[in-house]
Amino acid sequence: MANPMEQFSVQTIKPLEVAGYDVSFTNSSLWMLFALVAISIFLFVGTAKPQLVPGRWQAATEYLYDFVRKMLDENVGPEGRRFAPLIFSIFIFVLACNLLGLIPWVGAFTPTSHVTVTFGLAMIVFVTVCVVGIWRHGFHFLALFWPKDANIFLGAFVFTIEFLSFLTRPFTLAIRLFANMTAGHVLLKVFGTFVVTLGSFGALPYVFGILPLGVNIALTALEVLIAVVQAYVFALLASLYLNDAINLH
Amino acid sequence: MPQFDFAHVLWPQLAWLAVFFAVLYFGVVRMTLPKLGKVMDAREQSISGDLATAKAAKATADEIDAQYHAEMGRSRDEARSAIAAAKAAAAKSTEASLAKAGAKADEALADAEARIAKAVSKAEGALADAAAESAQAIVAKLTGVEPKLDAAKSAVSARA
Repeated sequence: MANPMEQFSVQTIKPLEVAGYDVSFTNSSLWMLFALVAISIFLFVGTAKPQLVPGRWQAATEYLYDFVRKMLDENVGPEGRRFAPLIFSIFIFVLACNLLGLIPWVGAFTPTSHVTVTFGLAMIVFVTVCVVGIWRHGFHFLALFWPKDANIFLGAFVFTIEFLSFLTRPFTLAIRLFANMTAGHVLLKVFGTFVVTLGSFGALPYVFGILPLGVNIALTALEVLIAVVQAYVFALLASLYLNDAINLH
Repeated sequence: MPQFDFAHVLWPQLAWLAVFFAVLYFGVVRMTLPKLGKVMDAREQSISGDLATAKAAKATADEIDAQYHAEMGRSRDEARSAIAAAKAAAAKSTEASLAKAGAKADEALADAEARIAKAVSKAEGALADAAAESAQAIVAKLTGVEPKLDAAKSAVSARA
C-alpha cells in the first residue's frame, strides 16, 4: 500500500543555494509557478480590453474582484478598498494552489498542504496588519487589546490574553488551511488505495473497487468545495484582521 | 509527515513563495485589477447616472401630467361656468319675451273684453227698446190705449 503521505514530499527539481540557504526549485515551487501562470492568464486575458459591457473573461474576473471588494466593504468599510489587491492576491493564490493540487493523474502537488507555505501567506497578512495598525494608530494600536472601561487588573489580564491570541493568529490561519488540505488529500489517497486493493481481489476482480471509487468521486467534489471555501475563509479572516488594524474598536 | 521536515521544506518553499507572491502582487494583480476597478466604477457611475436621468425625466413627466390635469380641471370649470352663464342668460331672455308676449296678450284681452262689453251694452239697449215696443204693442192690443213709449220703457226697465 502506497504511503498516503508520499504526495506531500517535496522533491528538488533544480538545486539552488543563495547565501548558504537551500532555495532549490522543487515540485512545490513548480506548482506555485503553475498557479501564478494560471492566475496571470486569467487576469491578463480578463482585463486585456476592459469594457463597460463585459465579455465572458472580463465578467469572470470581475466576479472574483467584486466578491473580494464586497467582502472588504462589509468587513472593513470604505477604507478596506485600498487593500483589495492584497486580499485578492492572497485569495486567488490560495484558491489556485488548492484547485490545481486536486488535478488527478498529473502528479499534482498542493503547496497549500504545506504549513510552510500557509504560514508564509499568513505572515504576509500578519505583517500587513501590524504595519497598518502601527502606521495608522501608532502606540495607540495596543488599545486593540485593552478592554474598554476595565479596571487596571482586569485590563492587564485581558490584555495578556488578547495579545497572545493576536500573536497566535498567523499560526491558526496557517494551520487551518494546511490541515484542511492535508486531511482532504490523505483521504483521497486512502480511498484511491482502497480502489486498487479491493479491485484486485483475485476471485472477483474490479467489482469491490467500485464502492471506494464512488466514494472517491464524491470526496473529490467535497474537496473542490473545501478548496474554494478554505480560500474564502483565509481571505475573510485576513480582512477581519485588517479591520482590527484599520478601525480600532 | 514531510510537511514537518523543515530542514528540507522550509527555505525552498518560503523563498519561492516570496518570489511568486511578489510577482503575483506587483506584476499581475497591481497591473490588471485597477483597470478592472476603473471600468467597474465607471459602469456603476453610468448606471447610477442613467438612473438619475430616468428619475429626473420621470419627475418632469409627472410635473407635466399634473400641469395637464390642473389645466384640464381649470378649463372644465371655465366651460361649466360659461354653460351656466349661457343658461342663465337664455332663461332671462325667455322670461323677458314671455313677459312681453304676456303683456301684449293681456292688452288684446282687455281690448276684446271692452269691445264685448260695448257690444253687450249696445245689444242690451236694443233689447230694451224692442221690449218696450213689444210692451207698447201688447198694451195697445189688450187695452186699446196705446201707452207712451217712454212709459213702456220705464215699466220694462223696472221689471228687468
